[in-house]
Amino acid sequence: MLSGESLFMLDLVATFAPYMIITLSLNLEYGFGGVPNFGKTLAVAGGAFMVGYLPGRILAGIMGVGQGMDYVAQNAQIITEINNRLVFNVPLSLGILLITLVAVILFGAFLGLLVTVPVVRLRADYLAMTFLAAGEVILVIGNNYPPLVGGTLGIGVPDPFGWASTFSVLGLSPGEMRNVTVTLFMAITAIIIFLYAQKLTHSPLGRVLRAIRDDENSALALGKDVTSNRLKVIIFASAIAAIGGALYAFYTANVISTAYSRVSWTFWPWVMVMLGGAANNLGVVCGTFIFVAVRKLIIFYKDIFGPFIPFDVVWLDMLLLGAALVFILLYKPEGLLPEKPIKTIKIEGPPPPKREAPEETSSSQAPSKKKVGLKLPFKFKVRKK
Amino acid sequence: MVLDIISAFKDAIVFSSLLTLLTIGMTLTYLTTKVPNFAHGSIATVGIYFALITTKLLGLNIYLGLLPSFFAGGVVAILQYIVILRPLSKRNASITTMMVATIAFDFLLLSGLNILADYLSKSFLIISRYFLLKGFDFFLMGERGVLLISPILVIAITIALYLLLTRTKFGVAMRATIENPPLAGTVGINADLVYIVSWFVAGGLAGLAGCLLPLWFIGNPDTGTFILISIFAAAVTGGLYNIYGAIIGGYTVGFAEIFLIRYLASLSDPFGAWIIPYRPVIPLLAMVITLMLAPRGITGIDVKRLRSMFRRNRNA
Repeated sequence: MLSGESLFMLDLVATFAPYMIITLSLNLEYGFGGVPNFGKTLAVAGGAFMVGYLPGRILAGIMGVGQGMDYVAQNAQIITEINNRLVFNVPLSLGILLITLVAVILFGAFLGLLVTVPVVRLRADYLAMTFLAAGEVILVIGNNYPPLVGGTLGIGVPDPFGWASTFSVLGLSPGEMRNVTVTLFMAITAIIIFLYAQKLTHSPLGRVLRAIRDDENSALALGKDVTSNRLKVIIFASAIAAIGGALYAFYTANVISTAYSRVSWTFWPWVMVMLGGAANNLGVVCGTFIFVAVRKLIIFYKDIFGPFIPFDVVWLDMLLLGAALVFILLYKPEGLLPEKPIKTIKIEGPPPPKREAPEETSSSQAPSKKKVGLKLPFKFKVRKK
Repeated sequence: MVLDIISAFKDAIVFSSLLTLLTIGMTLTYLTTKVPNFAHGSIATVGIYFALITTKLLGLNIYLGLLPSFFAGGVVAILQYIVILRPLSKRNASITTMMVATIAFDFLLLSGLNILADYLSKSFLIISRYFLLKGFDFFLMGERGVLLISPILVIAITIALYLLLTRTKFGVAMRATIENPPLAGTVGINADLVYIVSWFVAGGLAGLAGCLLPLWFIGNPDTGTFILISIFAAAVTGGLYNIYGAIIGGYTVGFAEIFLIRYLASLSDPFGAWIIPYRPVIPLLAMVITLMLAPRGITGIDVKRLRSMFRRNRNA
């Protein structure tokens, strides 16, 4: 059995990991690409809806469960039956997890592409408006189209981590084993995505993105394709954010469209990114952690000061976060960890040929051949006519 | 379901008129500050709650709430400009940062409105969520007053704006500031005052629209955030760079939204009543189509160029 503190930590990590994935993707878009994605919930909800839609139907088909039954209406029954069989089938569990994640990535990328294509050539404000509208529309669809994620009632998700509850390590109970496994999986995925984001932002693409963000016209003048690079980063970021939404859906084991509101999955990630420091992956991770920890504490102590105020504590929470964001924008716009110049990776290959100039000049015998100009790590070839 | 053209027309008139009031404000602030205000919808919600307080709490005629709502909306908008946007624009913050700031303000307003709603329902036992104030309207020849008042308000405000912008010194100064702020500054125009006034007018119009809204549609703390999409669509469709475009855009998107959804709902399979909740898709589509075909909106279409293009095609 886990102690109260460990449970709190576990819950903290489980909330932190999906948010970390999402804020990293937002950082790619906004911090590096300068794309104001005010519809982050589009990709997140897209990923989660995919989890609600796909794996259950595939498994029902493979196992022959629930034939002649309505998948949405008798969902609880079908999911219980699937989970009972899935517990003893580790390869199938992992297989379905992998297939779903691949589908989620593709779907997220597709959503990003779909929204961006009509407006990618326009100014940032048009992009922002379109994203906002698209984010609302996907929630409307999720809420009103029951076959997708059960409409307002939500839908259950088969648990690909059920097998973890069949054995016990360190004296954990079966339910805890499952939660620990999911949390570990999410944490590992988040770390992988962090490393990927680091790699991506330190690559030439990362530098081009910064150049476009800072001055679109000069990037264009240097021959960089602004449109395609922007499109690229939005597609990457949407795919990553979709993974975050999908993992959260697997963790909670159900999907309901009202859980993917604009506040939780667009506004909060923005606060996290601005708090941590845009265009600094480590800063964003710190910002996310601080935000999630503070909010967990607020929820933890909510019941204590709840009776003293004449309204729901949720609004006080939102008020404080809004004020915090304004405060950050006004007084610390660079965030906790400001943006740093990118360390470039050494390009491997044969070392550049050494210059033979220094010895000759220092011996003062042939001063006429002194080289003038910049020291460059490579040589220009000048074609002589 | 049969398409009831008259009732759809009434719906469309009221909705488009309110949308136009909101869009004029949005365009005005966009022209001056060059940032789309994501809190504009919630400023309208301030007006909605003023209407609720005027009728249910004070027991007055709802139309007496118009003036206070105008001032409340205006003051909120000025606050937004002075406290948040002006310091940012002085620091040459990017447009994205400014947009994030307006979103942050939107959430401040939204939480404030929710707190107000909770307070009203707990302390005064008023239904403060999902309310309609239809009963507080007056009747004129069997029709509800708002049906007449809202288009009249749009016409009056259009004329007032036209007179302000063309016949007064301040209006000319406003146009000059919109065109070129530094140049306007060098000839002695107080650009800051111009900005404050345009934010006040924009917020005030939003407050007016909000005050009339619960007479026909359901009011809730998040009503404004839902209308926001329609406001953006209307502003973009009309042309974000033209104040009169807001009127064209407001009526185009408003009528399109109501009539299209009513029409599709009246059809049999595969369409039908199930389509009604999908209304937000229409402004999104309107926005996307406009941005693809004519990014500067209806008023931004260069008619001469279009005509010469047609001519060339005919000759070819």
